[in-house]
Amino acid sequence: MNEVIGIIIATVLCLLNFIIVDTYFGLPEQPGVRGARIIGKDVEKRGGDIAGGFFQGNILCSPDASAGTLMASIGYLLLGIPGGIIAALLVFIGNRLCADPGYAGTTGCLTATTIIFLTSFVGFKPEMFIVGMVIAIFIIMGIDQARISVVLGKIAKKFNRYARE
Amino acid sequence: MFDLVFNAIYFASYSNFYGLGNISLSSFDILLAYIVAIVCSIIVALVLRLPLLPSKPYRYSFDVSALYPTPIIAISILSIFLVLNYSFMYNGLVLAIVIGVLSALFVKYLFDFVFPKPLDENAGEDINE
Repeated sequence: MNEVIGIIIATVLCLLNFIIVDTYFGLPEQPGVRGARIIGKDVEKRGGDIAGGFFQGNILCSPDASAGTLMASIGYLLLGIPGGIIAALLVFIGNRLCADPGYAGTTGCLTATTIIFLTSFVGFKPEMFIVGMVIAIFIIMGIDQARISVVLGKIAKKFNRYARE
Repeated sequence: MFDLVFNAIYFASYSNFYGLGNISLSSFDILLAYIVAIVCSIIVALVLRLPLLPSKPYRYSFDVSALYPTPIIAISILSIFLVLNYSFMYNGLVLAIVIGVLSALFVKYLFDFVFPKPLDENAGEDINE
């Protein structure tokens, strides 16, 4: 498969994976760790949405499904499917170190391993998912935080996981 | 002369890269070992009276249960053994059973000691605001 097309599709798959898993496990609802609330308030002050701000803060401050997707693709590149599962254990330990109560990281890791395994039949490589995940995190955090947080807030409302504040 | 990154990646992916990973095990055996590890860990955790599901609003994963951390710890330890090319007897089934039992024991008795709960009750709140 052409690399550029593969990277673009992998970016979309990574975005779908970690946004769905993170939103389902309630990242926009409440800040799981201390720094997330500060980032959420700051994004709201700059004209964003509080739920999207919590989402971005949780992604930044503790390993969630975004870190899980990235580490699963790296593990899959190195060691195949067992690597993806070992990455789940590493994300789990990271969650405990950050005192982050949440299921998103481990679940996202396992779903990402499944996605990479299934798409490997079509010709995707784990390298494409590593690059795609970096681009996906850049889209979420780097370009325009306030506007993206509004979009994330709308997604959170769709999932009935809006911030309870 | 001594390329650390290359050597580390080469070592980590050696068995996989050259197709030597578990040369005696077929993929069906590996799948069977994973399933045995998951089922065995859940059953032993239930025998040790861990609850099957975590406490209700599924947000606080420090409460251990039979379904959340136990099978994940079991299959990841098993995959470390498989990656290191160590499958003990009977195509890895004995290893899967031993790891399942040990991970359930770990979650029941040692988990709070290794991963202690956060000290303050209001985790996620700011200090001064």
